[in-house]
Amino acid sequence: MTTTTEAPVPPIAPLDTPAVRAFLAQPLDHMARLPWPFPDGYEAFRYSVNVDQARVPRPTLAGEWGRHLVDLGGAEYPTIMAERRAVLAADPARVKVLPGMELACWDLLLYYFRDLALSYPEVMHLDERVDGDADRFRWRNDLLGTDQEFTLGREETLPCGPLEMLAREVPDDLLLVRERDGRLHFDAGAVTFAAAWSVSFDVGMDMYEIHGPVPRMTGSGMTARAEQFLLRMPADQVFRRVNWNVAASPTRTYDISLEALPAWAGDMDAALAAGTAIPDCQLRIELEHFVRLPMSGAVTFNIRTFMASLAEVRRFPAYAAQLATILDELPEDLATYKGFAHLIPQMVAYLRS
Amino acid sequence: MSAVVSSTAPVQRAEAYVGHQHPGYALGRRRLHVVGLERLTDRVLHVELADPSGRPLAAFQPGSHLVVEAGEGRRNAYSLTGDGFNPATYAISVLRLDGGSAWLHRTLEVGGELEVEGPRSMFPAAHDQQHALLVAGGIGVTPVLSHARAAVRAGRSATVLYSYRPGHAAHLDDLHELAGRPGSRVRVVEATDVKQTRVSLTGLLADQPFGTHAYACGPSGLLEAYEEAAELAGWPASRVHLERFVAPELDPGDPFTATVASTGRRVEVPSGTSLLEGLLAAGVPVGYLCKQGVCGECRLPVRAAAALDHRDVVLTAEERQSGAHVMACVSRGRDIELDL
Repeated sequence: MTTTTEAPVPPIAPLDTPAVRAFLAQPLDHMARLPWPFPDGYEAFRYSVNVDQARVPRPTLAGEWGRHLVDLGGAEYPTIMAERRAVLAADPARVKVLPGMELACWDLLLYYFRDLALSYPEVMHLDERVDGDADRFRWRNDLLGTDQEFTLGREETLPCGPLEMLAREVPDDLLLVRERDGRLHFDAGAVTFAAAWSVSFDVGMDMYEIHGPVPRMTGSGMTARAEQFLLRMPADQVFRRVNWNVAASPTRTYDISLEALPAWAGDMDAALAAGTAIPDCQLRIELEHFVRLPMSGAVTFNIRTFMASLAEVRRFPAYAAQLATILDELPEDLATYKGFAHLIPQMVAYLRS
Repeated sequence: MSAVVSSTAPVQRAEAYVGHQHPGYALGRRRLHVVGLERLTDRVLHVELADPSGRPLAAFQPGSHLVVEAGEGRRNAYSLTGDGFNPATYAISVLRLDGGSAWLHRTLEVGGELEVEGPRSMFPAAHDQQHALLVAGGIGVTPVLSHARAAVRAGRSATVLYSYRPGHAAHLDDLHELAGRPGSRVRVVEATDVKQTRVSLTGLLADQPFGTHAYACGPSGLLEAYEEAAELAGWPASRVHLERFVAPELDPGDPFTATVASTGRRVEVPSGTSLLEGLLAAGVPVGYLCKQGVCGECRLPVRAAAALDHRDVVLTAEERQSGAHVMACVSRGRDIELDL
């Protein structure tokens, strides 16, 4: 196993351009970008292989989500990336790359840089064929002040490994799965915002091992179907899936990983004691994107985390009512696995008040 | 590797769907420029293709193939010989047989155009291989060269066994060039008749380092010898990979009935007619390419079946056992209910 070595973290220094100013001046509205995870009329949640074509915008009562592969987070982008970079600097073990995954990491970096430059052309740029060399690229991210030239496949041309390089530029947690001996394995990841799991613990596991603790998942054949889907996923399409939870910390902390447990484990009890917990409880949405990468055949399982507090959800009565119905109906094993079973009566009462 | 794929245009995905935004990931039907032609032997033509506007081409895994238009509605699949890493051009080598390959030999000229689709990966390298044993028979050298090049790029080791008839050794010079590079960990073994090939296969399969994956592409006789020798030497099947370019002969089979679950439509499939042909004749749209049970394009979901006779080389043993899918072009059965 190789761990990317710690490198000095470049500071976040947005360029002073009209496009950057306009981007960062967008109003902060957590509901406006939140992928509302429940279809209209949906009243009872069960896990499913709910995959969908990516890059199709979905309107919600509060705004829209899903137009691009990467949602930068609007004006919140520099804040999210500062948290990401601080975690990476403090704990380099959040980046794990198993042997044989090096090419997949380059595949991922190039795919995302190309996509970002096309999705956000005013503020992100990728020059290809620098000096006529097809393998040389120059990446510029005006929002963070990144300006990096590199040669594809040559790690010494980057300040860190390609996986960590991308993790410093996008809010998504990056996960790569590949087929080994007929099963999909999670063999590389740069994960700073895991919701109560650990990249170091999970890396190298197959889908069955990773989903072992999820009630009703493997027994119902869902793990097998999800694995078959990812194994067979066509190379010319991009897919996504939405998952949800109520975060274990009633704060906007992205890093509620097991590594950081001591830092957040007391948050909920403290807020409950202070009587402020329930409105601040965070509906935490994971938007997963699946891309088959062409050079390596590895598939992404990238996870972008969105949060909105129950107070923010309550601004939209139809959503508040739907979430209350779903929480109220949720079977106990699922609520216990998700970790908020004991909070359900208070959350439901708050959402219905 | 080359395979005749179909004589009528199958159902195609539209390039208009924006799965990928960047042109460097385009896999749909498109026209490329012929930028190089080289006669490797009296029957093998090497063809190099590039994007007409100089845009990057989709990268690919070693062992991938490209589907090319081959005249009169024919579409053939040819293995790409490059390593697939950020390719500036695509290169294939076409053995002249009848039909499409003869058309390509006759028609292609530098500066002309060729319609392609893909690349598609059906013969990839295992990500965790410690070493590769690459076996090539005749024009089966093309995916083997791709794998050898990828191994060199990754700094990995490979042993290549190339079985050819003297005077018909396409790409032998390329293999020697790879092996001769400073620091190269590629070794080339040659065999020029059946006996030599068998002896080399047996010897090489008996003596590979721990963690080796084996790959073979060539005529069916070579592949049978390879599989036999691997089994005798105790190789687990999951480490023995092969790509066929001549499909095994199939018997016509018994007539049976297939039902389309969504419409209840019953389709009678007579002996000597494939499930695919039966469905297409009944107006049920099914995508397909090779009609040989090789490419995997016509995989159909099965809701229920009284019996399934899998005759393809795509589905794994596990998948066959589950009975969840059938390759419509070659496989048969009894009372198959299709989840369409």
